[in-house]
Amino acid sequence: MINASRQLSRRRFLGNFAFASAAIAAGPGSWVIRPDWANAAEGPIRLGIATDLTGSLGFAGNTDANVARMLVKEVNDSGGLLGRPIELLIEDTASDESVAVGNVRKLIQRDKVDLVLGGISSSMRNAIKDVIISRGKTLYIYPEGYEGKECTPYLFCTGPVPAQNCDQFIPWLIKNGGKRFALPGSNYVWPQTINAYARKVIESSGGEVIFEEYYPLDQIDFSSTVSRIISNKVDVVFNAIVPPGVSPFFKQLYQAGFSKNGGRLGCVYYDENFLEMNQAHEIEGLASSLDYYKVLAAEDPVSARIQSAYDKQFPAKFRFSAGSAATGTYRGLKLWEAAVKEAGTIDRDAVAAALDHAKIAEGPGGPAEMAPGKRHCRMNMYIGVAKGGQYEIVARSAGLVDPKEC
Amino acid sequence: MDTLLIATFEILSFGAIVVLVVLGLGIIASMMGIFNFAQGEFVLLGAYVTYLVHSVGLPVPLGMLAAPIAVGALGFVLEKLVVRRFYTAPVVAMLGTYALGLIIREAVRGLTGGLYLSVPEPISGSITIGSLHFATWRGVIVIITLLVMAASHALLAYTSFGLRVRASLENPSLARASGISTGMIYSVTFAFGAALAGLAGALIVPVFSLFADLGIRFLIQGFVAVMVGGLGSFAGPVAGASVIGTFSAWLPWLMSPVIADVLVFVLAIIFIKFRPQGLVSGRGVNR
Repeated sequence: MINASRQLSRRRFLGNFAFASAAIAAGPGSWVIRPDWANAAEGPIRLGIATDLTGSLGFAGNTDANVARMLVKEVNDSGGLLGRPIELLIEDTASDESVAVGNVRKLIQRDKVDLVLGGISSSMRNAIKDVIISRGKTLYIYPEGYEGKECTPYLFCTGPVPAQNCDQFIPWLIKNGGKRFALPGSNYVWPQTINAYARKVIESSGGEVIFEEYYPLDQIDFSSTVSRIISNKVDVVFNAIVPPGVSPFFKQLYQAGFSKNGGRLGCVYYDENFLEMNQAHEIEGLASSLDYYKVLAAEDPVSARIQSAYDKQFPAKFRFSAGSAATGTYRGLKLWEAAVKEAGTIDRDAVAAALDHAKIAEGPGGPAEMAPGKRHCRMNMYIGVAKGGQYEIVARSAGLVDPKEC
Repeated sequence: MDTLLIATFEILSFGAIVVLVVLGLGIIASMMGIFNFAQGEFVLLGAYVTYLVHSVGLPVPLGMLAAPIAVGALGFVLEKLVVRRFYTAPVVAMLGTYALGLIIREAVRGLTGGLYLSVPEPISGSITIGSLHFATWRGVIVIITLLVMAASHALLAYTSFGLRVRASLENPSLARASGISTGMIYSVTFAFGAALAGLAGALIVPVFSLFADLGIRFLIQGFVAVMVGGLGSFAGPVAGASVIGTFSAWLPWLMSPVIADVLVFVLAIIFIKFRPQGLVSGRGVNR
């Protein structure tokens, strides 16, 4: 008898415990930003942002959430979308796929959002896309530049892909560096895929790949690699090593005299956030290839307006930069807004059909449009070179660059 | 020949870095029987203090002096507040110190915004011999490691404080009966181990840059080093660290780095299987 009652109380405790932990999980993990006005008969349009607010990708996720806050405020201040306000729901994917799936499910099942935008890493996109698209019957926009090959219906990608990163960049590197390439990369899908693409472009542009090698993600000592680069007289290091390894790698290359002897560093994902990882002289001359640089604000009034609006609202350390997917988030939300306006409804199929050919005339780095039938985005691309801790734009695409995906 | 010289220097310098990081871990594990899972974050904190001093405009060497003091003081406080409750339960101690580490790591992540930040070397540049370049700061780390190792050994083997530490380790009740405050000795030893980690962090931050996960990589390597070297002595962890550091820097010269990374751990496991007591099986500090 005593035993039974104890059993019962334990079970009860477990029940309470489960309830409490569910409450904790649902509580501080979610952000709901309700519009000030919610008088429309149909209620607000619900926009879900699922991004890495905490964990190792927190610096990017917070930026993306901030961009969404800024755009939603703009839309609501100017009368909303289809006459309805937008309610912004932000969930943390915590740089951890297992946490993410649960939180994204909340967006879909509890909040019944009309769009999910988010995910930084490809593994995150793969983990949450099924929850959103097939089981959730919801539209999904993935904003980060990535390795391509994502052709799932209802999934729209608004960051740059290898063709956009490489087609202009590699001939430039050959001209401004040399023909002998090294392709070091971290050992996961993005470096392997972009290196495979880069190798094709290098070989068709008259260059040659001296070696291609992969490293554990947490490797931070690259003496043997640096020695091979120096002894093989490599002209261009096309880097796909990601943090934390990239900073000691560049430092060791510099100390071994790579740049002093005329070597060129190329790295497609390098944005303003990464300039601080090394001292300015260690990465002097590093070339990168992105859809936006902060220096563009000096020449492009639209970029200047967006950049200063962001900096004014969010003066903290999360920078509006291309590598953080800030530009992809901006484009994604604006293209979606245009598509909803065209469709005149928030029905998934109607919005997806309109989004398929959506265009925006103004965005960071210039206009953008979806490539019809491809679910990827055409955008301007720029080559920036690091000089004294700043980027200088040295080349730009003639117009919008096609993603060449799907 | 050129490559051999460069390789030797690089392997030596990386080995020195691992020894420096493991030294504090080894002293705490050997002298106190506690596996401090927050050791990697003490390294991180040392790096962060150095960055902080640099970012307010003070010279970097000052930060490197401040780091061991600040981290040592924090270690002292944490021992008094938390760690001392776990001496009778080493497994719980692992969890407890892991939690401390998690708190420190996420706090630093918050403070740095999750970014990667650079700290310049106090002595930068490289020494050029013919066409070969040797990074000066890595050379300095090798020298400082040797000095710190010698000083730590001297402190434990030849001073009266070292005698008290060893007495508290070997027979705590007899030590207490002889008038040694073992509680205080434990606090100071833990603080000393933490200070060494802080120093390690301060010295390596110019090489690897500052980021919240800096400590994790070294923590795993450090534990393998302590296991391979053997627990209980001063020389054990140091020997283990040199072996692990050398292997993890040397194997990538011979094979694909991804395989090398795994092979280091496989070799360590095989070694421990056949020699569970580690390289150095003695206890205490050899004079």
